[in-house]
Amino acid sequence: MRRLLALWKKEWLALARDVHGLAVLFLMPAAFIVIMSLALSDAFKDDAGRSTDFAVLGTEDAVLAERLAQSLAGGGFRATPAPADEGAARDSVRRGSRGLVLVVPPGFGRTLETVPDPKVQAPALVLLADPTLPPTQLVAFQQRVLGATLGARMSALATGAGFSSDPGAFDLKRAATLNVEVVGNPRSGRPSSVQQNVPAWLIFGMFLVVMPISSLFIVERREGTLARLVSQQVPFSMLLLGKVGPFFVVNLLQTALMLLAGRYVVPWFGGEALVVPPSWGLLAAVSACTSLAAIGWGLAVAVFTRTAEQAIVLGGVGTILVAAMGGIMVPRFVMPESMQSVVDLSPMSWALQAFHAVILRQGGWSDIALPCAKLLALGAALLALALLVHHRRRV
Amino acid sequence: MLSIEGLSFRYPRGDADVLEDVALEIPAGGIFGLLGPNGAGKTTLISIVSGQLRAGAGGVAFAGEPLDALRRRRPHCLGLVPQEHAFYPMLTCAENLRFFAGAQGLAGARLRERVEAVAAFARIEDVLGRRAGQLSGGLKRRLNLAIGLLTEPDIVLLDEPTVGVDPQSRAFLLDSIRSLAGPGRVIVYTSHYMEEVQAICDRIAIIDRGRVLLSGTLDDVLRDASNLLTLRLRAPLPKWLATEWTTRYALADDGDARYRLRLPDASAIAGTIESARAAGCEPLAVAYGERDLEQVFMQLTRRSLRD
Repeated sequence: MRRLLALWKKEWLALARDVHGLAVLFLMPAAFIVIMSLALSDAFKDDAGRSTDFAVLGTEDAVLAERLAQSLAGGGFRATPAPADEGAARDSVRRGSRGLVLVVPPGFGRTLETVPDPKVQAPALVLLADPTLPPTQLVAFQQRVLGATLGARMSALATGAGFSSDPGAFDLKRAATLNVEVVGNPRSGRPSSVQQNVPAWLIFGMFLVVMPISSLFIVERREGTLARLVSQQVPFSMLLLGKVGPFFVVNLLQTALMLLAGRYVVPWFGGEALVVPPSWGLLAAVSACTSLAAIGWGLAVAVFTRTAEQAIVLGGVGTILVAAMGGIMVPRFVMPESMQSVVDLSPMSWALQAFHAVILRQGGWSDIALPCAKLLALGAALLALALLVHHRRRV
Repeated sequence: MLSIEGLSFRYPRGDADVLEDVALEIPAGGIFGLLGPNGAGKTTLISIVSGQLRAGAGGVAFAGEPLDALRRRRPHCLGLVPQEHAFYPMLTCAENLRFFAGAQGLAGARLRERVEAVAAFARIEDVLGRRAGQLSGGLKRRLNLAIGLLTEPDIVLLDEPTVGVDPQSRAFLLDSIRSLAGPGRVIVYTSHYMEEVQAICDRIAIIDRGRVLLSGTLDDVLRDASNLLTLRLRAPLPKWLATEWTTRYALADDGDARYRLRLPDASAIAGTIESARAAGCEPLAVAYGERDLEQVFMQLTRRSLRD
């Protein structure tokens, strides 16, 4: 134990004097958390955040256009004054000053007052759309247009039949009250950007221990300190354990600091504050399992590689690829189905599932058991592999 | 006594043995010089003795006990001073000494005592608070030596411990190493600087291409030089004179117009030099009755130690 303590102390001293290594471990993931939380904050807001400007141009019936505009407004779409004509409408969309313009053709109002005849071709609505508009917003607006026109038709028919004189009686907004409840989320409504980003970039930061672990190990091998320690009868397994302890503490510190960054730094820059359920035991367990997998990865890279260049390629680039594959950089739900099956191969994805189970779903031990078991098994396998490779090569 | 018996080693995927049936008897009490050119196998031999590499065949014993077993029983019995600066440049000298002492199980008062002792021995007390990476080459070598002596080992392996230092530091290191010799302690000193080995070692072995070419006391190795004339000439001898000297003086050609002749006595020196001059081969250097390890090595291998 005395020898292990000496190894831990040495590792701490070496790490504390490696300014670049500390920056990679602490500043980089914190910066990612702040930047990505702010950058993606609109995408995770309940009202879709940023509004898309639209207008309704009634070439013949300005009243109908105004009524449709009122029905379509809301839910992330903001009505703007109608352009003078279709040419001006196209210009405004081309310039990007409006995202959408709905052009109501002459005679369209009259078709709403009659029962549709499939044999008669009714005048078609035209929707002018900005090419940079996200497809999901375009689809959402299309649905709103169909809903609004259906409401207008129902209203006209009901008025004609003497059922109702209220033109807004069939407005979709008044059809029912729909409350969305996101199950397990401690924050009311949908998970915020910071809740999605803190676990993702924390995991990425934890796996970055591969860089200081492998770089110091390569220096030790190159400078002969490893050979000297082996000649002093320090078992190689103890040399590896000498790295596990300090970097385990580093990973736990990262967890605490990244949660604090989400809680206090992101709001300071105008984002939402991270809300974490008080499941500290679960969070500690997930962090510990993620840490052991990350350190195992670091030790395996350290033993496999002979030069700093090899360590950068295998450790650095490898970590980025595993992160990209594991839904860290691009959320899993954005990926196509074929890609989502690949995500499950990444250990960072297992860690993300476990963190989401705690932070987003308020899950329990049973929810984190499988991903944590996978992470622990990976960590143990990589450590065993490092020992095996060393045994075959010696120093 | 450190006994090395029939030691052979080949690196994985290597196509030849780096060490081939190496056998050496290294008595305690003096300094044993292991001399050989770069790539001769000296460091590999040191690595096997220090436990970093496992020999393919053969074994090492200390005082009759297999070294592996002894080191399991007494892990502190061996100290290695590698040719690299085997310490942490980002740590201070004191932190390095404390770390290597702690890694070998020393603690408390014993650790402090040994750190102070080796720092004093290597005269690095004044730089204990400085980062090791910022030291001069000579001070780095002294720190390297101090770390190897932390546990007061019975076997000290010094692998080219003076590489890259200025003459003043080299002299200090050699003096320090000389003072380490004592009863019961085996010191193995590897180098390709023959003058160093000649200055501090009492026994030597010459190793080349993984084989021991010669082993014995320094006196024995250098003996038999009482009537040896060594010549370095401006030009190689003409064939007729070389033939004559071969018959009369058992001429040996070391190449590059360097020759060794066994004269009957000192009275033949003047005539020999005159004959060389007359043949157009002006002598550039003449030595009689002495030879050094460079000559011994060259005689054995027909190569220079620095090749």
